[in-house]
Amino acid sequence: MAEKIGKHIAIYGKGGIGKSTTTSNISAALAEAGYRVIQIGCDPKSDSTNTLRGNNYLPTVLDSLREGNKIHLDDISVKGFGGVLCIESGGPVPGVGCAGRGINAAVNLLQELNLFEEFKPDYVLYDVLGDVVCGGFAVPIRDGITDRAYVVSSSDFMALYAANNLFKAINKYAPTGGAKLGGVIANSMKPGYHREIVDDFVAKTGTSIAGYVNRSLDVQQSELYGKTVIEAKPNSAQADIYRNLAKYIAENENLVVPNPLGSAELRDWARSWGDRIYDIENGVVNGLAEAI
Amino acid sequence: MSNVIKNPRNGCALHGALQTVQEIEGAVPVVHANAGCGVINYLANKTVGNGASRYSGFATPGTAVQERHVIFGGASRLREQIKNTIKVVNGDLYVILNSCESAMVGDDVDAMTREIVEQGEPVACTLIAGFNGGSHYGYEHVIYDILKSIDGVKKNEKSTDEKLINIFGIVPEKDPYWQGNLEEIRRIFAGVGLKANLFFGVYGGVNDLVNAKNAVASVVFSRWGELPAKLLKERFDVPYISVSSLPNLASDERELIEKVSEYAKIDPEVKESFLESEGRYERNYLSRIRDDIFEYDLGKRTLIVGDEEQVIRYGKLFKEVFGARVVGAVLTDALKKDEEHETDNTEILEAVAENIYITSDEKDIEDIIKRSRAQVVIGSSLEKRIAEKNNVSLLEFSYPIYHRAILNQTTVGVRGAVEFVSDYITAVKQAEKEKSQVLHDYLKQLKNQNSWQGHTSKKGQVKQINLVSELAARESI
Ligand SMILES: Nc1ncnc2c1ncn2[C@@H]1O[C@H](COP(=O)(O)OP(=O)(O)OP(=O)(O)O)[C@@H](O)[C@H]1O
Ligand code: SF4
Ligand SMILES: [Mg+2]
Repeated sequence: MAEKIGKHIAIYGKGGIGKSTTTSNISAALAEAGYRVIQIGCDPKSDSTNTLRGNNYLPTVLDSLREGNKIHLDDISVKGFGGVLCIESGGPVPGVGCAGRGINAAVNLLQELNLFEEFKPDYVLYDVLGDVVCGGFAVPIRDGITDRAYVVSSSDFMALYAANNLFKAINKYAPTGGAKLGGVIANSMKPGYHREIVDDFVAKTGTSIAGYVNRSLDVQQSELYGKTVIEAKPNSAQADIYRNLAKYIAENENLVVPNPLGSAELRDWARSWGDRIYDIENGVVNGLAEAI
Repeated sequence: MSNVIKNPRNGCALHGALQTVQEIEGAVPVVHANAGCGVINYLANKTVGNGASRYSGFATPGTAVQERHVIFGGASRLREQIKNTIKVVNGDLYVILNSCESAMVGDDVDAMTREIVEQGEPVACTLIAGFNGGSHYGYEHVIYDILKSIDGVKKNEKSTDEKLINIFGIVPEKDPYWQGNLEEIRRIFAGVGLKANLFFGVYGGVNDLVNAKNAVASVVFSRWGELPAKLLKERFDVPYISVSSLPNLASDERELIEKVSEYAKIDPEVKESFLESEGRYERNYLSRIRDDIFEYDLGKRTLIVGDEEQVIRYGKLFKEVFGARVVGAVLTDALKKDEEHETDNTEILEAVAENIYITSDEKDIEDIIKRSRAQVVIGSSLEKRIAEKNNVSLLEFSYPIYHRAILNQTTVGVRGAVEFVSDYITAVKQAEKEKSQVLHDYLKQLKNQNSWQGHTSKKGQVKQINLVSELAARESI
């Protein structure tokens, strides 16, 4: 592959964990800072860039592939907030066809259309759906498309479980030129032990935290306006959180191959936290609960 | 970790299913796959001598699936293809064949088939994909799947025909002699007043599929016929008989007919007179070769490469007729899905051959041949190179056989036995003739030249000297 234009970053995480929200806010913050940004939603739901483009209609890459017509970049991209180029891969209707192959085909098509040569981005963010369920969804971190991945996770066990699965995928593909991990974006942080759980998880897996994003009403409100927090509430504390996160991701070159936990290890680790949380909730004093 | 398999001689399950369906008169295959799946089957088979089948190669109806059908699902493409096929290709039954691709994408082929059946069209489908197994597996499962659904497609009240026998286990195109063999089985059954339900070839057709449940019994001639026979037993109470191989000698024919007569009505007089004439036929011809057996020392060390049924059949024949030592048997039908079968031929195989190998890897087979020190190999054209290299006579009788047309010839029944035996003797005589030619040429050369050293390489000299001494010893010169 030719010399890559811009930094290509994949964002993964369990379904509904806040990937699209976080990615869009990072894109918006990077654009605000003067960078040229492309955000590519790799999800058949094609809702990744909604808040960057005020929920306006955007035909997906695969819609045009389905029609079989000659595809032009203009047909499948639109400029959103701060000039962020928004693209949605799209995919089949639920329950039919192969979405994994769809993402693969869409990304290939974008390369054929010389997207990166034409737009000359500083950053390209790929918002990839859900768990890495099959080979198709690992394409963005596998074929040299991105060289770094971030995972969005809350302190919920299932979210960390999904993160651990992504670590496994990275672990598998990194030795053959796949992406490495930039860090974990701890989302929906609430007061209490939530940070500690995620901190402990990254310590155990040899990874690091890219930033903590609080659970905030600003996010939900902005979403209802069809906007990112950066656009709707530029002066809020939450906007600054996203700006800091964007800055970290823009500058971070500390990429690692994570050490995922084995299934038994992960289960034991979760159980140990179950006990600790019980103690915390019941006022049993121990060193870790100081933050409360 | 990864092994290279050299020249695997079997195709995938889709190929087996396709070969099977295209040999049923009146059945039209519709391949739901990318174009290559059907074409590669054609290209692989077109070099063998069976001639073109009814839907050869590029003319096979198929969906020729492309990337967008993978991404968005190929069901509507399939619907379109079935409808168009029905319009342009006349048939009594359309059979949709699934592939790896549609199975992985999860196209609902079953629902699509039901939809078209509800519109009154005669359509059946098989959901097995290429990766489910090899060609033999494909044969077995497509027949099973068609028999399972044919009642819903072609209405027919069950009424048992006391004379009708289903024939399962002869895999079309995989047994190089499948057509002649089916015809010979038909002849044998007709000889005792029975009708063979063959499904394939000249006398077969879609009607045989419809009538299968009316048979008085099924005969399963190789493990690959077990599944459909079992289905008919469970659904329609058609009993089945399993035999380890097709009959060859008159005694095999008798054994078979005796077994069948437990279920089918056979006039004892007709039976005796037919089997007696079969015995006479065999005795007449086999007694003609008794001199050859001794003169050419026909009881040679033999190794057999082929599908299990063929190995058992050829092995028995060689042992019984020539007193040959079968030093090894290589089973090339992909036996991985074995667990599905009740048939266990281990004992029979052990009685036939001294060593049994299961592989279709040409490299393994070449090593086995080299190690076996066999003088004769019964195998396929793929063994030609190694046979020549090791100075072994090769009898090409298993799949694939190149450079020979095989239309209605048979290797089954007393006629097949005679055909097989004559081919073998021809091969041995030919080899002898070549050897003595070399001797004569050499002697001539000696006469004409004072010094031959200058004209022949060292290796050549050694070879010639060996030959001369061998021939000299035998011909007492
Ligand atoms: N930090 C946060 N504070 C409050 N709400 C949040 C936060 N992050 C995400 N959300 C809300 O969670 C919901 C899901 O977020 P989002 O759509 O970004 O998740 P996703 O991971 O992209 O989901 P999917 O897997 O379905 O694509 C949204 O309604 C969003 O507003
Ligand atoms: S194995 Fe699968 S992909 Fe290959 S030819 Fe058979 S059906 Fe097609
Ligand atoms: Mg999303």
